[in-house]
Amino acid sequence: MRKSPFRIGLVGLAGIIPGMLIAVVLFLAIYSWPAIHFNGIGFLFRETWNLGNLYADPVTRRGVQVPIGAQYGILVFIIGTLATSAIALLIAVPVSLGVAIFLAEGAPPHLRPALSLIVELLAVVPSVVYGLWGVAVLVPLIAHYIAPALDSMLGFIPFFAGGSPTGFGLLSSSLVLTLMVVPIITATIYSALLQVPRPDKEAAYALGAMKFEVAVRAMLPMVRGSIVGAIILGLGRALGETMAVLMVSGGAINYLPGTITSPISTMASFIVSQLDSAEQDPTGMAVRSLAEIALVLFIITVIVNVIARLITKGLHVGLASRA
Amino acid sequence: MQTRSSETLLRRTFLLGTLGGTSLGLISLASRRAAAAEVTLLETGSTLLYPLFNLWVPKYTAMHPGVRITTQGTGSGTGIAQAISGVAQIGASDAYMSTAQLKKNPGILNIPLAISAQTVNYNVPGLNNANLKLSGPVLAGIYSGKITHWNDAAIAKINPGVSLPNHGITPIHRTDGSGDTFIFTQYLSFSTPEWANNVGYGTTISWPPVQGGIGAIGNPGMLQACGQTPGSIAYIGVSFHEQIAKAGLGTAMLQNRAGNFVVPNPTTVGAAAAALEGKTPPDQRISLIFAPGENSYPIINYEYAIVNSKQASPDVAAAVRSFLNWAVDPAAGNAPEFLGPVQFLPLPEKIAALSKAQIAKIR
Repeated sequence: MRKSPFRIGLVGLAGIIPGMLIAVVLFLAIYSWPAIHFNGIGFLFRETWNLGNLYADPVTRRGVQVPIGAQYGILVFIIGTLATSAIALLIAVPVSLGVAIFLAEGAPPHLRPALSLIVELLAVVPSVVYGLWGVAVLVPLIAHYIAPALDSMLGFIPFFAGGSPTGFGLLSSSLVLTLMVVPIITATIYSALLQVPRPDKEAAYALGAMKFEVAVRAMLPMVRGSIVGAIILGLGRALGETMAVLMVSGGAINYLPGTITSPISTMASFIVSQLDSAEQDPTGMAVRSLAEIALVLFIITVIVNVIARLITKGLHVGLASRA
Repeated sequence: MQTRSSETLLRRTFLLGTLGGTSLGLISLASRRAAAAEVTLLETGSTLLYPLFNLWVPKYTAMHPGVRITTQGTGSGTGIAQAISGVAQIGASDAYMSTAQLKKNPGILNIPLAISAQTVNYNVPGLNNANLKLSGPVLAGIYSGKITHWNDAAIAKINPGVSLPNHGITPIHRTDGSGDTFIFTQYLSFSTPEWANNVGYGTTISWPPVQGGIGAIGNPGMLQACGQTPGSIAYIGVSFHEQIAKAGLGTAMLQNRAGNFVVPNPTTVGAAAAALEGKTPPDQRISLIFAPGENSYPIINYEYAIVNSKQASPDVAAAVRSFLNWAVDPAAGNAPEFLGPVQFLPLPEKIAALSKAQIAKIR
């Protein structure tokens, strides 16, 4: 088979994307290698992030030059990232399923294009706008109404007790992430629901199912793979979201959140807020540790994606074997 | 009727012609702009100095039409980093560079432009009109989590007769690389040995874990977080005094080295500056924190312009020199009409002369 220039050109262009991905990962790994070597595996489990004394002379530890007292640990940020994404998904998935089912089955057919456009517009709003809205509206709302309500209704659970003097924290970050993730999940599930063949729906109606039962019992199981894919898309956005979380998270450092309204920091927001401070480090170890945080975030995202694909494959195999 | 191919040909020619004409027009517009030989300077950094730059730049560029100056308030850490990397011609910083940093980046100048101060503000319902007395050790206790409520014995001891509420304290600190953090933590370090040994000072430090402690971005972020949070305490630059008053926050009286509690005003700031100006070295990197003197305010500092002595071109260097010389001139940038609204003090004569000597090194 002749390799035409057309084919070579196409393959080259297509290869740019995985090429860029590999380039980014290689850059992160190579740039942060001294930090990986210095920090060890304890990096993932230490709570304290300390740049050390940047105004004294650096010392040599473990073979590299670092400021005195430097110790890097990102447990706080890993927990912050995973907690905000988990809570965001916990709220977003049922809401998105409801909206998608409503759009596909419940809405009047002539309104469907307009309603689905509104949902997609939510996805286009820049994250900074969500952050500004969060600071101006959501944070005072949490401080004055939502946190006291949670405290009075669910206060027997320590996680929900205590109220919130500021409103900045885990709850506000999760709610902002929920808003950003719902349109993505909804749009994906909605387009999958539209693909469900009519004969299958009509068969369910013929068996006497109500509208709601048709949607939940007959249609949703057929789009299981798409639902998982949608959740993963949403999770990907939630894990990597930087600006909006930076503005409402409260910028906690060196302590783990105790309640749902505690201030937190996520890995992405921490990199942004610390980068210029890290550049003050004359040894450069701080910036390399930030690159290591980016590498860890990337690895977590890849792991989550792989798990999702395995789940999807398992679901498809299950469906196929049943059919 | 025209054939399809000639229709397409006409349409294509028309489109290409419009595109070509537009791009030629845009290019000629752009090149006319460039031909005017305008010098653009970028100033970025300290949010404490930012309000003053916003007063300086319009006046200065009105008098010097060949220069355009863009200002940004991004934090002293960014100011230093971008001045070193060359992205910004003038980096504004409340903190001078460390010796190790200077060794790594020789040729960077730290040039004082004015004397500023920092206030410690709080939002305690009922006490925002009074000036609560706070000392370095008490503040260190608050920011390390040892003092958790406003009616703690340590606060009550230095505020006899004041009824303090049993409200939790939320300490607010800066998350970005901040000169305000630098001078505040220097005050804590110089006044409290325990803080100096365990935490230290810097544009960014490893803040001791305090459950509920908030990090804010920039002086405006500190102001907003403090205003929104009852029971909070924050350190905010004095150039924000108007917004602080509008937000109804309380200003603390701080204990100075002599043991007296002083409010921040031009007299107390001036007393601190006078006590230490004589010790300023030629490279002008010196801390003015915790100055000796009965009436000295403990948190004052030089506002630095971090500038690379080697600029990209002679034109840029000349523009930077011209602006900085104008800024430190007591009849121009250092006049009360600019420094008054931000409550800064002008540089003493000797310090201004040292600054001018450093400015002359910019090539």
